[in-house]
Amino acid sequence: MNVVEPIIHIEHVNAFFGSFQALTDVSLTVQPGEKVVVIGPSGSGKSTLLRTINRLETISSGSIVVDGHALNDPAEDINTIRQEVGMVFQSFNLFRHLTVLENLTLAPIKLRKLEKVEAERQGMELLAKVGMADKAASYPVQLSGGQQQRVAIARALAMNPAIMLFDEPTSALDPEMIGEVLDVMVTLAREGMTMVVVTHEMGFAREVADTVVFMDEGRILEVAAPDTFFDSPLHERTRVFLKQIL
Amino acid sequence: MSEQRVVIEVGDGAAIPRAEDKGLLSAWWLSFLGTMAVLGYLLIFQADPYLRILKFLPDGILVTFQVTIASICLALVLGLLAGLGRISKNRMVNLAASTYVEVIRGIPLLVQLFYIYFALGRIVRVPDLVAAIIALGFCYGAYMAEVFRAGIMSIDQGQTEASLSLGFNRSQTMRYVILPQAWRTILPPVGNEFIALLKDTSLVSIIAVSDILRRGREFASESFLNFETNTLIAIIYLLITLVLSKFLSHVEQGLSHYERR
Repeated sequence: MNVVEPIIHIEHVNAFFGSFQALTDVSLTVQPGEKVVVIGPSGSGKSTLLRTINRLETISSGSIVVDGHALNDPAEDINTIRQEVGMVFQSFNLFRHLTVLENLTLAPIKLRKLEKVEAERQGMELLAKVGMADKAASYPVQLSGGQQQRVAIARALAMNPAIMLFDEPTSALDPEMIGEVLDVMVTLAREGMTMVVVTHEMGFAREVADTVVFMDEGRILEVAAPDTFFDSPLHERTRVFLKQIL
Repeated sequence: MSEQRVVIEVGDGAAIPRAEDKGLLSAWWLSFLGTMAVLGYLLIFQADPYLRILKFLPDGILVTFQVTIASICLALVLGLLAGLGRISKNRMVNLAASTYVEVIRGIPLLVQLFYIYFALGRIVRVPDLVAAIIALGFCYGAYMAEVFRAGIMSIDQGQTEASLSLGFNRSQTMRYVILPQAWRTILPPVGNEFIALLKDTSLVSIIAVSDILRRGREFASESFLNFETNTLIAIIYLLITLVLSKFLSHVEQGLSHYERR
């Protein structure tokens, strides 16, 4: 299993917001096809960690290598790397001025230089996959939160990324909409996508994760398979956290 | 410091009537129909001298429009550049743009007009019309810069992050994601500036540009019909700004189509 090169390689990373240290000596590797779920209390640095993987946050020291590209190497084109890394946000962030389908085709047309017809065909395929084909002509404001998030996942997939990052994808949703988004994510996981997911959905973590990462106060405290993690956590802090949320 | 900042926006353009502001909409109709009625009355029942004055003015109206359109184009370009400069992380660019805005906004438009006309005239000979357009364009560009800056800043940071995460660079993000959305916020104040600029073109009459006002004054100085001429000039300006403000309110409605549920 470990013969493959890791697709994400994070080594001894420190990150600061002003004088506040958001990440302290964080190291983590993700194998191709692996599903990593990052959990922890709010302010533990889990979203920051996720956002460093496509350099939406910059690190002060350490190194992050994504699919062979070192993020802090000035010779690397960050925009090209970002095309390989899809990201889904807590607040969806669909482009409000574009229809659902246009949200999916903008980047493939402008960046991948796809023909409009081809981009739209591919876009409709992805919309069908997330169950949103009938809303192709709608604008984001016309959709529910769950629908918007499914479109946001499809938009990220439209660039055919090697890795998908999810930053608390269900935290802004009404409870009855969480399921439809998680279903899409489970499907994606079954298809073998490499995923790093920051979430509070423990059911999802148990069902889908290969590895669960627990963070607190900017450090990774525990990395384990879900069964081990939930049933016999090593760290006292993890036990307290799990008790609070389960 | 109080938690909530109250923003009071008062432009010096004519107010743009919006469907939700019933009072203003009625005021628009009242002004428009009233003006049309007065104009109709004057041209029919007092055809002499009003028809005579009106026939003297079309060249001036044309010049006023020329100056307005050319200046607004220049102002939009300068405003966009300076507005982007004002939010630039490059310190030099930011300083240059901010200084332009500060300096221009601190000098009365009339003084700027004279300055460009006479001071620039010592170095290069500029036609009167061009001097007028440059002065108005630069002056309004500084106001536009603030409008563009505010419009761009009003777009949620999440839009930028989503765009960057797809692989767009900063300028592509600005072009494909931010500016198309910012337009909606920017258009109403730009419309106000447009109308304000149209009115301010009357200032160019003093640097020998034959706009409506100058044509009117030429007529008045020969005929001594000061009251009648200025009445008609006021009516013409009012009609133009009223029609323009109504037109802009329609454009605004069209631009916000994607916000409707």
